Amino acid sequence: MLKICTVYFDGFYTPDYVARFYDSLKKYSTVDFQSVCISDTDVKADVVLPYNHNSKIVKHWHKLKFFSPQFAYQNPDDEIIIMDIDQVIVNNIDDLLNHPVEENELVTYGQWWSDALKFNGGFYKFKSGSLRKIWDDFALNPEFWQLNYYNKGIVHKKYYGEQNYVGNKVKEHNYKLTLTPHEWVTKYTDDYAENLKLNKMYMDKFDTDYMILDNEVNEKLKVVHFTGVGRKINENYLL
Amino acid sequence: MRIICCRFGNKFNQWHVDNLKHMIDEYSGLKYDSFEVIEDDLYGNWFNKFQMYDRFRDGENLYFDLDMVIYDKLPNLIRKDFTLLDDTWWRAPAHTPLNSSIVSWTGDVSYIWDKFREQDDFYVDTYTKGSDEWYYKFIDYKTYDKVCPSIKDYIYQQPPQFSVCTLGQMHHLQEKGWSGWYSNYFLTH
Repeated sequence: MLKICTVYFDGFYTPDYVARFYDSLKKYSTVDFQSVCISDTDVKADVVLPYNHNSKIVKHWHKLKFFSPQFAYQNPDDEIIIMDIDQVIVNNIDDLLNHPVEENELVTYGQWWSDALKFNGGFYKFKSGSLRKIWDDFALNPEFWQLNYYNKGIVHKKYYGEQNYVGNKVKEHNYKLTLTPHEWVTKYTDDYAENLKLNKMYMDKFDTDYMILDNEVNEKLKVVHFTGVGRKINENYLL
Repeated sequence: MRIICCRFGNKFNQWHVDNLKHMIDEYSGLKYDSFEVIEDDLYGNWFNKFQMYDRFRDGENLYFDLDMVIYDKLPNLIRKDFTLLDDTWWRAPAHTPLNSSIVSWTGDVSYIWDKFREQDDFYVDTYTKGSDEWYYKFIDYKTYDKVCPSIKDYIYQQPPQFSVCTLGQMHHLQEKGWSGWYSNYFLTH
């Protein structure tokens, strides 16, 4: 079974993010999947598991639980996808959800708009349990890892750095890292000037006429990720 | 014989108390006269446990933390003298060798409570890593032999030669959604 896993907690987004995400997965794919959401309130998902506010694990770091084969009722043959809910699906994503993955391999978004990170953590796909050390290492000392990249000045907001952690653990444990085609995903924001710049970069990198133009979305683009500190989905700038 | 546990704050709830009792009743082989739960939140942290030394001044007493897995018949853990766990056989040296996840004594050890109450505010402010360091510095104690490993070394395989594990920092394993060998012994959520 394919499980598509997300995390929601009160404080920044709203439960309708999960519903919108779930509905768009259904709308833009023909793939059979089960959606699982760690949440502190009722949300639209096939399975909802509790978000524990009294845990030492905080915010989006709960995502890492899905790397454990003991979480979310995983079976050995399952394929697991973890996705952020601050994404808008804009074209068919069957190729994304069905992206082949092997044991000990992490498939994640290739990203093109920044040199700071090799990949974008809005999408992780792997075979159930095959990357368990990503969770096991974290679970030994979550308080350390959750602030490690902030304390070292690598990220500039507390509790950021989950992508850095996953990337480092992939290297440390010699897991294979596979990036999806870069043109499948873009960052987008509510800043007009920044979006113009992103459009220009996309056109140059992928030799196309546009990325997002008014209500038109380039056919190569599958997912728009409203990534960045304090960023929310702003559909006025998209569809 | 008296079984004791302590629940306060938001970290643990009634499920955790019921779960401990369930594991004791189903798997431990322990026969006890009363199951006591300390719920008065005097200090907002682990020093609340010390109330048991004031309240229970007679008979055989056996205390368990709520974040344990009891999965088989326990060895005799009842002790005459004040006894707690020594963790140094499974973990690196830390601020204390002791772990009060399991504690036993017979009779009156209220001197522990009295000693603590002399300067409780100071102790709570000073020993911020836990009450186990306080025992180490101020109380004469005995320790158990190797009876209770940490689950961190046995996440994927039930430790065969023991009957109880501490979850340590891995409280998440008691949350809904986790399915390992340990969850077979927990109450269903």
